[in-house]
Amino acid sequence: MRRALAALALALVVAVSVAAGAGARSEATGPLTVYAAASLTEVFRVFDGGQNYNFAGSNALEAQIRNGAPADVFASAAPLNTQRLFRAGIVDKPVTFTANRLALILPKSNPAGIRSVYDLRSKPVKLVVAAPGVPVGRYTLTVLRKLGLSGVLSKVVSRESDVKAVTGKVALGQADAGFVYVTDARPVSDQVTVVRIPAWAQPRVRYEIAVVSRSSNKAAAQAWVKAILSARGQTALKDAGFLPIPKAAS
Amino acid sequence: MALVFLVLPIVAIFARVPPGELVSALGTDAAKDALIVTAKTNAVSMLLILAFGTPTAYWIATRSSRLRDLAVTLVELPLVLPPAVAGIGLLAAFGRLGLLGGSIEWLGIDIAFTQTAVVLAVTFVASPFYVRTAVSAFESVDPTLPAAARTLGAGPARVFGRISLPLAAGGLGAGAALAFARGIGEFGATIMFAGSLQGTTQTLSLAIYEQFDLDFDVALAISAVLVAISGGVLLSVKVLTRWRSGSTSPIPFAPTTRTSG
Repeated sequence: MRRALAALALALVVAVSVAAGAGARSEATGPLTVYAAASLTEVFRVFDGGQNYNFAGSNALEAQIRNGAPADVFASAAPLNTQRLFRAGIVDKPVTFTANRLALILPKSNPAGIRSVYDLRSKPVKLVVAAPGVPVGRYTLTVLRKLGLSGVLSKVVSRESDVKAVTGKVALGQADAGFVYVTDARPVSDQVTVVRIPAWAQPRVRYEIAVVSRSSNKAAAQAWVKAILSARGQTALKDAGFLPIPKAAS
Repeated sequence: MALVFLVLPIVAIFARVPPGELVSALGTDAAKDALIVTAKTNAVSMLLILAFGTPTAYWIATRSSRLRDLAVTLVELPLVLPPAVAGIGLLAAFGRLGLLGGSIEWLGIDIAFTQTAVVLAVTFVASPFYVRTAVSAFESVDPTLPAAARTLGAGPARVFGRISLPLAAGGLGAGAALAFARGIGEFGATIMFAGSLQGTTQTLSLAIYEQFDLDFDVALAISAVLVAISGGVLLSVKVLTRWRSGSTSPIPFAPTTRTSG
C-alpha cells in the first residue's frame, strides 16, 4: 500500500515536471542557474549570458542547495556558507571573488536625526538589521561590537531575511536606520543617506563562489566563475562599489 | 491520486522528525515566543473582525441587490489578492510615509514594526473570510421571520439581536473559524508590513521562515503545530456547518423549498 502510494505521488510529480518543461534541465546546454547573495543582485545582472538567478540571503541559499535545489553556481556573502557546503561535498572548492564594507543607511527624511553611528545610542530610533543567520546580520554584530555599540541592539525593531529587505524598509521610510553593504545603498541613493562606518570598525566581508558538484552544466558553471574572476568581472564589481579580492585570501 | 499529492507534504512534516524531538523543538524560545505573538495578535484581530465584520455583513445582506453586489465585491477583493500586494497596500496606506502614515503618527500612534502592524495585516487578509461567509449566513435567514418580528413591534436592533443573529450563528461561527485559520497562517503581508522580530512581530509563519535555514527541525515542529491548529479549525467548521443546517430546518413556518447558503 505504502509503495503504491509513493509510486502514485512520484508519478504525479513526474507528470507535473514534464508539464512544466523541467525535463529540459538535464540538457547540458540550458541556461546556468546561479544562486547568489542578495547583495549581488544588481552587479550580477550585468554579467549577461541568460543565467537564471536566485537572489536571497546566503544562509537561505545554502539551506536550499543542501536540500537539493538545482543550482549550478553558489555565490555567498560569507565564506561560512560556501565552506559548510564544501565540507559536506555539495560544492567544489570555493574561491574568494570580491569583498565589501558595511554602512549605516537612513531615509532621506532622517526622522530620527542621525548624523553618526554613535547617534544610534542616544536617539530613539527604529533600527533594522538582518537576522543573525544572514551574513550581513553577523557582520552587523561585529561592527556594533567593535564600535562598542552592542547596546543599540535593543533598538532593533525587525530582523530581516536578507540585506535587500533591510534596504527596502529604510528606503521606504518605515525604519529610521539600517545596516547594509555600501553597495546596497547605491541603487537607492535617491532615497537614502549613507552614514560611513570607520575602517577600523569594519568586519572582513569576503565573498566566495563555488560550482555545485552535481551540476549537470559544470563546464559552463566553471567558465562563468572564471569570468567573474577575470579582469572584466572584477572591473564590473569595482564599478558597483565592491572591493578587490583581499591579498591574504587569494 | 490528487489526494495523495495533497496529503504527502503534510505527512512528510510529521515523518521527518520523531514526535519526541518535535515536542522538544517546540520548547525553544523562538517557537514559544512565536506562539505567544501569534495567539495575542490573532485574538485581537478576531475581536476586531467579529465586532466590525458582523454589523458590516448584516448591512450588506440587507441592501438592495446592486449595492450588495458592489459591497461583496469590495469585501472579496482582499480575499483573492496575493499577500505581497496586501503588504504593499498596507505600507502605502499605513506606512510612515504612506497615505495615512503622517496623520497616524501625528496622533501619537506608532504602527511601524509593532504588534499593531501585525494585527492590521492579519485583520486585512482574514476579515474577508468572515464577512463573506457572514453575508451568506444572514441572507439565508428566512426573511419572513424578521419581518414578522417587525410587525409584532420589535425594533431593528431587537430584530437583529433576537432573530437574525441567533439564526445566522452557525454560519457566523464557520466564517470566524475560516478567518482565524487564514489569520494564524498569515505571512506575506506581515513580513512586508510589520517586519520580523522574535517576541514582538515574529508570528509562527515568520518563525518557520527564519528557522528554515537555522534549524530545520524547529521549522518542522512549528509547521506541525500549524497543521494541527488548521486541521482542528477545519473540523470545527464541518461540525458548525452541520449544526447550522440542523438548527434552522425545524422552524415550523419556514417554507420547505428554501435553500440554505
